[in-house]
Parts: sequence; structure tokens; C-alpha cells
Amino acid sequence: MDSVYVIGRDAVPSFLRLAEGESLRMTIVVPEGESCRLALEIDLDGPGASLDLAGATLSSGGEQVDISVVVRHNVPGCHSGQLFKSVVGGSAKVSFNGLVYVAQDAVRTVAHQQNHSLLLSETAVAESRPQLEIYADDVECSHGATTGYLNPEELFYMRSRGIPEDEARRMQVEAFLAPVLLRAGIDKADSL
Amino acid sequence: MDTLLEIRDLHAGIEGKEILKGVNLTINRGEVHAIMGPNGAGKSTLSAVLAGRPDYKVLSGSVSYDGRDLLAMAPEERSWAGIFLSFQYPVEIPGVSITNFMKAALNARRKAAGLPELKPAEFLKLLKEKMAFVQMKGEFAKREVNVGFSGGEKKRNEIFQMAMLEPVLSILDETDSGLDVDALRIVADGVNRLRSPQTASIVITHYQRLLEYIVPDVVHVLKNGRIVATGGAELVQQIETQGYDSIDG
Repeated sequence: MDSVYVIGRDAVPSFLRLAEGESLRMTIVVPEGESCRLALEIDLDGPGASLDLAGATLSSGGEQVDISVVVRHNVPGCHSGQLFKSVVGGSAKVSFNGLVYVAQDAVRTVAHQQNHSLLLSETAVAESRPQLEIYADDVECSHGATTGYLNPEELFYMRSRGIPEDEARRMQVEAFLAPVLLRAGIDKADSL
Repeated sequence: MDTLLEIRDLHAGIEGKEILKGVNLTINRGEVHAIMGPNGAGKSTLSAVLAGRPDYKVLSGSVSYDGRDLLAMAPEERSWAGIFLSFQYPVEIPGVSITNFMKAALNARRKAAGLPELKPAEFLKLLKEKMAFVQMKGEFAKREVNVGFSGGEKKRNEIFQMAMLEPVLSILDETDSGLDVDALRIVADGVNRLRSPQTASIVITHYQRLLEYIVPDVVHVLKNGRIVATGGAELVQQIETQGYDSIDG
């Protein structure tokens, strides 16, 4: 199943359960201007279940976005991948809490979680709290988080080719969010 | 003589440190000028200041380009006016393809000149033509700008962009560094084919090697932030045989 949720348009379920062999591809988009508090729990309850979860947030004013995701690997041989990308400008605050739980029996679990934030202003805040709670052996789990500003070298390079500063920034933001937005069938950050 | 660039008593630096200490340079249309000098002489500072790099500060002096005050122009405005800098260290832009990058660059320039955007077919034709110019293959256009490029590919990409943008004044900042002979030939060929009576180039280099392929009309030696000697090809020979120490500064 492939589902796309755009905040402000769609309601995101708070609990999902994947049975044996089920696979879910889920994309959550938080457009500019939307403040929200999302709490999502997904249980992988049948062997071989697979979750591919991605989220993108774009905030440029005073938005408050709070996302917390709990993924539980309860049985052997399930896969989960998470990619959350946030662009935070103005005085917006975006926080991401991601817990991956692997039960004692859930051997051969593969779980990856990535959370990357791009800050556009000094007053923007991005918080990232990835957590792994693993009780099984023989698992492949990883998480990574980065937070950074637009690269001034990239901006100057683009401007030196004649791309105006605001457009160069927009291209960088789009490139940053593209891996998630393309999944949602959105090819321009403008349309958010 | 039709003067394109006139630098007068230029003092500039970075992070409070003065690096250029009174540079004077006049470049006419149709000319290729080589600027040679030892490491730390200020060669890259000069190119950065001409392209408008924000972290470099001009302390005093003036630069006039085609009758305009260059130092008052934003980097993108300098590009629209025909200035092109081939970077010593081309920058990677993850997530932006060469195609989208060049489309944005060309259309911004056309917009500034009051022209409509290029039609997709026209753009593709131009892209293919200029890729052939630097011997780049089809998949090149889809790659992310400079991401995962070899040193030679990055420099060829600079010359490709130069060919796409058809500058009036090109500044090549150590374009020869890290290039093998084949890549050097491709780069030099590219530059030579873009030479015309209307355009000019500044070739910045530490070594004479590139100047065997791109023959300059005028050679300058930059040392300790000043141009200490100006001459012809004989200056290149002197540096090669006797080193920069033989030229007083």
C-alpha cells in the first residue's frame, strides 16, 4: 500500500498494524503554515512485514511542528525505514522524536532511521531525538540525524552563474526535500 | 583600444587581513592575460573579488567593468553582465542536476536581459552542443552538479558552463591544477575556441604548463598582493628557469 498524507488536508492515523508479509509505504507532508502535533505508532506484528515511512516539513513563520513516531518490531524478519526531512525558517520550531523498538524475539530485524534538518534562520529551531531500544540479537539497526544551514559556498557558486540569491535558496530547499516530496508526487516546494 | 576591465589601486582581503595591496590592471577586449604568482600572492583573492564573493571585503580602490562600477554589483548581476569565474575548487550541489542548474542560470540571465525563457527543445540542443564541446557524454546532464565528479570532470564542467554562458570576461582560477594532460587539452581547447575580439580572459596559474596551451597576450606576476612585473611570454620563461624569487616585489 502506498499512502500520502498532507497535513491540513488529510487526517493521519495514530496507530497502524502490519500483518505477515504486509508492506506499507507512507509519506507525510507538513506544508508551510501548518502547525501540528503528530503521534504515530506502527506495530510490525507479522513476519516479513515491511514499512517505508518518510516525512517532509516546511515551516517558515512561527509554526510549531511536533512529530513523534514509534515503530515496534514485534516479530522476526521485518523491515522498517524512516526518512524525515525538515526545512525550518523564521521562528518555527520542529521537533522529531523517533523510537524504534525491537522485541527480544524479533531477530533478523532491519531498521533504519534518518532525520535531517535544514535551518533557514538563526531563530528557527529543529530538535531531533532518535532512539533505538533493542532487545534482540542478530539485527541491523541504524539511525542518523543532522542539522545544518544552507551552504554559503553553494549559494555563491549558483549566484556566480547568474542564479539570483532567492532562487538559489529555493533550489537548495527543493533539492533537500526532493527525496521525500517526489514520493508524494510533489515536484516543487512552491506548491506546498 | 577597447577597455573591458580596469582595476585601480585595489586593496582587499578576508577576515580583516589585507591580501591585495594595491593592484592595478587594465584588460582590453580581445586579450588574454595570464596572472602568475607564488602561493599566497593573492591570485585567488583577486578572482574572488572580481566575482563578488561575499566573504571577501574590498578595502579601497575601484574596478570598472564595461564602464560600470563592478564592485557595486551583486554576483548574479556580474554574471548577467558577462563575467564568468571558473572555480579553483568547483562546489558540489547535491540534489541539483546539471540540466536544472544550467536552465536556471540561462533563464535568469535571459530574464535580466528582457528575453523570454528558452524553449525546452532549444535548451536541449544548446546543452548537447556544449557538452560535445568538452567531450561530456549524455548522462552527464542528469548528474548532480559536481557530486562524485573526478578532479578532471569538475574542471571540464566549469568549461562546459563557461561555454553555455558565453561570457565576455572569463576568469580561470588555477583551472590547470590537478588536471592530467588530456583534461588540460580539453580545457585549453574550450578556452581557445571561445576567444574572440569581443571577449577577454584572465588565466590565473601557478605553473607555465597551461600557458603552453592557452597563449597569453600579456603576463603579470602577482607577488605579496601587488603586480610586480608585466611582460610577454619571456616572463613565463624567466619564472620557469629562475623561479618567482628572480622577480622583485
